[in-house]
Amino acid sequence: MVGDSLTPGLLTRFAQAFGTYVGSGTIVIGRDTRTSGEMVRQAVIAGLLSSGCRVIDLGVCPVPTVQLIVRQRKASGGIAITASHNPAEWNALKFVNAEGLFLSAGQARELLDIYHQGDYTKVSGGEMRSVETFAGGLDAHIKAVIDAVGQLSQKRKLKVALDSCNGAGSIIAPRLLEALGAEVVSVNTTPDGSFPRGAEPVAENLVALCQLVRDSNADVGFAQDMDADRLAVVDEKGMPIGEENTLALATRFVLGKTPGDVVTNLSTSSAMDEVAKLFGCNLHRSKIGEANVTDMMQAVGAIIGGEGNGGVIYPAINFCRDSHVGMALILHLLADSGRTISALMNDLPRYVMIKEKLPCPSEKIGEVLKLIRRDFADNQMDLRDGVKVSFADGWLHVRGSNTEPIIRLVTESASENRAREILNLVFEKVERLLE
Amino acid sequence: MKPLKIGIAGVRGIVGETLTPELVIAFAQAFGTYQDSGRILICRDTRASGPMVRAAVAAGLLATGCEVIDLGICPTPTMQLAVEHFNAAGGISITAGHNPAQWNALKFVRGDGLYLNTRQAEELLDIYHQAEFTKAKWNEIPSKIETRDAIAHHIEVLKHGFDVETIRVRKLTVAVDCCNGACAVFSPRWLEELGCRVLAINDEIGSPFPHNPEPKRETMAQLRAVVKAGQADIGFAHDADGERIAIVTETGEALSEEMTLAIAAEIKLSQTPGVVVTHLSTSQTIEAIAARHNSTVIRTPVGQAYISEAMLEHNAVLGGEGNGAVAIPEIQATNDAAATIGLILEHLAKTGQKISELAASLPRFTMLKHYVPVAPNKLFSVLNDIRVEAETAEAADLDLSDGIKLSWPDGWLHIRASNTESMIRLIAEAESDERANDLLDWAVDRLK
Repeated sequence: MVGDSLTPGLLTRFAQAFGTYVGSGTIVIGRDTRTSGEMVRQAVIAGLLSSGCRVIDLGVCPVPTVQLIVRQRKASGGIAITASHNPAEWNALKFVNAEGLFLSAGQARELLDIYHQGDYTKVSGGEMRSVETFAGGLDAHIKAVIDAVGQLSQKRKLKVALDSCNGAGSIIAPRLLEALGAEVVSVNTTPDGSFPRGAEPVAENLVALCQLVRDSNADVGFAQDMDADRLAVVDEKGMPIGEENTLALATRFVLGKTPGDVVTNLSTSSAMDEVAKLFGCNLHRSKIGEANVTDMMQAVGAIIGGEGNGGVIYPAINFCRDSHVGMALILHLLADSGRTISALMNDLPRYVMIKEKLPCPSEKIGEVLKLIRRDFADNQMDLRDGVKVSFADGWLHVRGSNTEPIIRLVTESASENRAREILNLVFEKVERLLE
Repeated sequence: MKPLKIGIAGVRGIVGETLTPELVIAFAQAFGTYQDSGRILICRDTRASGPMVRAAVAAGLLATGCEVIDLGICPTPTMQLAVEHFNAAGGISITAGHNPAQWNALKFVRGDGLYLNTRQAEELLDIYHQAEFTKAKWNEIPSKIETRDAIAHHIEVLKHGFDVETIRVRKLTVAVDCCNGACAVFSPRWLEELGCRVLAINDEIGSPFPHNPEPKRETMAQLRAVVKAGQADIGFAHDADGERIAIVTETGEALSEEMTLAIAAEIKLSQTPGVVVTHLSTSQTIEAIAARHNSTVIRTPVGQAYISEAMLEHNAVLGGEGNGAVAIPEIQATNDAAATIGLILEHLAKTGQKISELAASLPRFTMLKHYVPVAPNKLFSVLNDIRVEAETAEAADLDLSDGIKLSWPDGWLHIRASNTESMIRLIAEAESDERANDLLDWAVDRLK
């Protein structure tokens, strides 16, 4: 947290560790619109230059732009300065490898090891390299999206209501949507780092966007988070469709064009199974975490993938969550089908997902998981990431958090009562155990 | 022992060894804390490590909630003059002055544009060592760094300080060696304002230093050639950040850097007799010149802040150091090479005197400078040993306000610890070469 634990000294050491890790190569950096972004950027530049890196600075841009330019410029890596959907007082560094992917768990451990050892590469004053300010990052990103999905048919001019949360999407999403051939009305597209609403693109934060969709008679509403990797969709009636359905819509378009394998994580809605079944395609489920999804996508050669939190990953452009790709795919679905978002949603069975968390000391998590495994031993189970139990009419996923001393419970069913029933059953068992 | 010098002249080290981004950030945080998160100007010279150090300084200042105004590449005196103009709480100049290219340093400037004095520098060091820095909350950290040009303001002040019209009429030919340093963006522009024909060399800010950026006779061969070939009226040699300056006469003679202050004193005191402030290691030529003009000399310990504060206290007409740095209070009470250029060109234009004639008219002494590297943990015990011996040397005067200065009627010897490097500096001056050599030998023998 800035002003507390995230000090410039710590940031510059991490940047030096990363510069050392990539062998003093070329590093692409970009940041979101948080007010602390400039301080963090300066500390990162100092550390990278000191470790002998050349720096390509994209200024304010979405995280996926950093990942794209890393590959286009054949850089050794990238650093995105963003705390994603965390509140305004947070900031963070996201490290990208030479392939444009976030560091894998193993790579992240190697980087941490260098950080802790503190033995960073130091180049002498005379050999220090420079910072290149590259203003073309956003144009390259827009071009990559349009090259991959094409412009929209102009038979039906689509009207889009956009809410970029005053984040990094503010400076690219309106341009991209217009370049695709849509008409744009927007709220919260001033990239000044003020948080006009909660940063997570969930229903309760989308009131202004829903109103804008209704007032402007838009065909669809799109909401981004601060670093523009996640996307939420509002239908033409001004109703949020639920972030779990963003990936389902995008997948539906992609598979309709080209059948292929799909990857999502264990906690993502069963709507994805329905979409894959509709086109006779395979759906693979990975452990939670963007890097796990992209790893599996590469392993199975997936054509599309992503997460239920609104993260769409389309490898034709980039192996990372990118709300802009998601918008382009969903607009194409609207244009090609000639239907509305609400009509498209009616094709899919409605599921109700409930997410809960329980405080749980980390040493107790194993016991909780053991209990679930024992009590649901008659059901089909997936044990790769906590326990996922499948029932005839729903599922339950229980796992320990990687970041906090809590366990996360997710259930889903076509019936809200059933989802609630499963959750209550487990809640009771776990609470009794923890007492 | 690695070269890093943390002291009253700021923090100075070799980039890639001791001057790390963490250290720079911590110093910037300490300074931001010391200045109560106020508005801070930053500038840098042209060293390749400048962008790294600048980024680290900016990060440290922003983290303490300081508003940062970046003046880009410009001379340190330009920033110092801008501090009051932009109503700033202070400034940081990123330059290692006359040190070679692999060095860099931070020089800390307070709200009146002068360097921190010893007491203030010690307070800053205390904050640095305690590492209890102000941490601005996320919404108190400025979200951007403003970029401003301060050169126009500096030139405007200079134009009001000198008789520009008279200088313009004379259309002087001036050669200048900017050493590819910060003066490359300043001096050609200033000289053109003065109507000079400008023969600039080493005025490319992207290029490495063509020679050590210390204006001394041994670094001035190229400038001498340009003065002769271009039939210039005078040649000026800059350091990397626009404080020190040395002179080549129209005959192509490179004058010792000690002559710069002497020439400035002769010009200034002939116009306005008064007080000249310099430090203990500067040539006794200054006393001789002051005596001609019914003026007095005040000597301070070595260090720019001592001279600046003594100038203000005694309402001095001039200040400066033997290394080629001169302060002209009409412009600012701190070293400013651009002001030095103005003073000298105004004199040449008004009087028609040649610079070689002016130099020849001044009393000259033989000055010898020498240094002995000493580990930082030995510096002061070595000095103390010599002090004990010095008390037996039967000097006419013994001054212990900054190291040891021994004076006799025909010469003097100054032995002191450098503020900027881990070494003991020896300076001897006498009426004859032989006597100066004897004095220096005495000190070198004691240091063996």
